[in-house]
Amino acid sequence: MGFRHDLEQDTVSSLPLRDAICVSPETTVRQAVAIMQDKSLGCAVIVDQDDQPVGLFTEQSLLELLTAGDSIDDRTVSEFTDPNFLVVQSSEPAQRVWDAIEKDGLRFIFVADESGQLIGVTGQRGISEYLAESFPQQVLSQRLGSTPWMQQREGA
Amino acid sequence: MMETPQSDPDKFVDPLSDFEPAEYPSDLHRILAEESVTSMQTTPGIQVSSDATVAEATEKLRELKVSSLLVVNDEQLVGIFTERDVLEKAAENFAEIANHPVSEVMSSDPLVVYETDPVGAALAAIAVAGHRHVPVVRLDGTIAGIVSPKRILRRLSAHLD
Repeated sequence: MGFRHDLEQDTVSSLPLRDAICVSPETTVRQAVAIMQDKSLGCAVIVDQDDQPVGLFTEQSLLELLTAGDSIDDRTVSEFTDPNFLVVQSSEPAQRVWDAIEKDGLRFIFVADESGQLIGVTGQRGISEYLAESFPQQVLSQRLGSTPWMQQREGA
Repeated sequence: MMETPQSDPDKFVDPLSDFEPAEYPSDLHRILAEESVTSMQTTPGIQVSSDATVAEATEKLRELKVSSLLVVNDEQLVGIFTERDVLEKAAENFAEIANHPVSEVMSSDPLVVYETDPVGAALAAIAVAGHRHVPVVRLDGTIAGIVSPKRILRRLSAHLD
């Protein structure tokens, strides 16, 4: 049984999920930025009156606004909506998320329960953590730092 | 002064003669543990000088639709400037700092992997340390490229079974 089998058998709910940030279309960019900073997340989901996602406000959206010389106080997130987003059900195979990142280059994938309610966000970070935990000896034992092996002290 | 004794080639025993290379349960284990990050298609990485302004660097991120810029002085990596830096350090007072050097808001001393490090080291930098883009540098400190989660998944995809 290889890793592909794990990706097909494990569901999306087994991937690390983070709480999604949901904002209304009328939210100002400053308000959205404050929440994204607080949650340390690179996007906010814009939801309609029925709490259904209609688009994303992303860090790229923020770049568009800033480089156009606009004020984050005067503009709302609805003016910078990225309509390209993917929602998958938590019961779908984890392979779905892998493919969305590897083939479609998506960064965030939103996760909904059986009723269609958003329950979180995963994506490049989530699948990376899942992969690392699947190969602990090859990944979690690696050196983390800016110094190459040869410059590190040996011994006590 | 002592003379180095002459070795007899006929009596030489290779100390590695009984070396047995590690065996791995799958290609994925081997790639993560042994293949160098250069086996992946790392992207060259867009570079910017540390005296470029915050406005110039931000415009570059937008125009090229990239998430990070490598901040370089004399071919040496001095920092990384990302979309996250814009969100967390520049967005709220962008007009005031637009003409400041990007070195004021970049992330200094970024976590890097060396070109000889295994793929697993790049994945650890992403999954454990939480960096989405990891610069790849040569042992002399010059920049070889940048690696992202997408590149790692593409490298591994052909070996999932």
